[in-house]
Amino acid sequence: MDLIRALAIGALFGIGLYQILRRNVIRVAIGLVVLSNAINLFLLSVGAYEGLVEAYAKAVGQRSDALPQALILTAIVISMGGFAFVLALIYVLSARYRTSDNDEVTGLSH
Amino acid sequence: MNDLLPALPMLIPLAGAAVAVLLRGNFALQRAWAFAVMLAAFAISARNLWVVWQTGQPLVFQMGAWAAPFGITIAVDLLSAFFAFMAQLVFVFGFLYALGAKDKAVRHNTFYPLFLTLATGLTGGLITGDIFNLFVMAELMVISAVVLTAISDDKYGAEAAYKYFLISSVATFTLLFGIGGLYASYGTLNMADLAERIAAAPDRPLLAASVVFLAVTFAIKSAAVPFHFWQPDFHTASPTPVSAMLSSVVVKLGVYGYIRLSTLLAPQATWLQPALIVAGVIGVVFGGLGALGTHNVKRMFAYSTLAQIGFIFVGIGWGTPAALAAAVLFTFNHALIKSAMLMLSGYLASRAPIKTAAFSVVRGTGKYAPLAGVVFFLGCMALAGLPPTNGFISKLALFQSGILAAHDRTIESTVQLWLPLLLIGVSGILTVVYSFRALMRIWWEPFEPRSPEEKVKPHGDSLLAPAGLVALCLILGLWGQPLLDLVQDVGAWVVQPERYIASIALLR
Repeated sequence: MDLIRALAIGALFGIGLYQILRRNVIRVAIGLVVLSNAINLFLLSVGAYEGLVEAYAKAVGQRSDALPQALILTAIVISMGGFAFVLALIYVLSARYRTSDNDEVTGLSH
Repeated sequence: MNDLLPALPMLIPLAGAAVAVLLRGNFALQRAWAFAVMLAAFAISARNLWVVWQTGQPLVFQMGAWAAPFGITIAVDLLSAFFAFMAQLVFVFGFLYALGAKDKAVRHNTFYPLFLTLATGLTGGLITGDIFNLFVMAELMVISAVVLTAISDDKYGAEAAYKYFLISSVATFTLLFGIGGLYASYGTLNMADLAERIAAAPDRPLLAASVVFLAVTFAIKSAAVPFHFWQPDFHTASPTPVSAMLSSVVVKLGVYGYIRLSTLLAPQATWLQPALIVAGVIGVVFGGLGALGTHNVKRMFAYSTLAQIGFIFVGIGWGTPAALAAAVLFTFNHALIKSAMLMLSGYLASRAPIKTAAFSVVRGTGKYAPLAGVVFFLGCMALAGLPPTNGFISKLALFQSGILAAHDRTIESTVQLWLPLLLIGVSGILTVVYSFRALMRIWWEPFEPRSPEEKVKPHGDSLLAPAGLVALCLILGLWGQPLLDLVQDVGAWVVQPERYIASIALLR
């Protein structure tokens, strides 16, 4: 199970990083979402109090560490706001520059 | 009520921003309210600094009365108090500039609430004793700054905001990875508690990776080499009050993070200090050369910030009490000087025929703004580190601390000491070249309108804020002893992390 989670985090991180480096603005936005989910999964899997009690209870009556859940909740809220805002920015940019290519959004460099 | 005082510099602007949103229908009332709120917050952070300095005891506050290390801690030790005081002092002048600015962005009814949340995020990040709260505050700061830039008058505002937001998102992810790694290894988020547990068991597997992630985050926040590329674009396009705050105090959150990282959280990470020296020296050289090659006054000062942050990094990298004190002093003086210089470039842009600070447009316009020329000249002297300004004192203190470290043999390696000292000494001259070249282009060359109807506007933004800041630079240059005493105490305080840790132990 640990191995599957580790592989999933790695895969999500890789996909997110790859998409964020693409030229299409929509892919960049999707990359941001995938990356933030990679981090949420990372926080949930490793976020055990001193590596002892996991952040999710497996058996009835077992107490789990509530703090990683609080962290993830905060991170989800913040990344949702950021994602909505970046979509709005992309809308403005694509209307103003008539392009969906990051490399053509270069008004400031000349 | 008295217990709440350490948190008030953060809570007052936050509550004030909420009220300012409600006042959006009445613009005059809204901006008066925002300025009053900022003044009140500044008064309390000044009082906090004074109390902490005089008593030698940190001020601590637990959010919601949850005991440490479980609740969110606000811990104001001398370093935090000093940085918060610096940030809010510059913000007061930023508000003053915004009140007298002619930008359309400043008249937007969301400008003042966002400016207040920007101040909240920065102050909160500086005074919090909880590393996850640092993340929340940094996010608040980034979002406010991005939105303020997106509503800029400059037609490239949205582009600059997009670039800044993407790079800041990367910083968010690295910060969260660092926090997650630290929590997994040590089971706490309280910075003092964390420092204690790291010192007790410095061999947990995720520690090294977490420190790297945190170091990358702070490099992006302080726009240091190799993460500086967003800064020139961003500062060229954002509204003047915002770019003045970002280039002077918001980048100092990264500086603060490095001081905390290298003295409190990870003093055993021996690679960090040489890395800071390397990044600092590259920043000084590259920033100076970059500033020489620019075609826009604001862009020039953005590159100049890269160079000045480099000086501070070299001081933190040396790590002796004197060098840390010099770095802190440099931080304070640079905040005053750089905000004044960016406000002056904004003033020039507001007077120019087309609203931009490009050299091709503002060249020669200085003839119609003699008073601004005097202020700009004094600011250039402070930036280049010439007496009798505070820039001279901070550069002197930095070089002195380096030579002192060589004399006491606290730093043995030549590569770490003499080479950086030589390189930053030589590149410091670049500051003189680019700042006085800008002065000559704007004030000494003739004004040549490209068409007959192009005229310099008779009125621009108010000069009150930059003049006040430059006056402060002069006063601190002529009468700098109290500030020097203060930063020496800060330097002595940061090399004793046990004093910070003990303050949280009281709350358990």
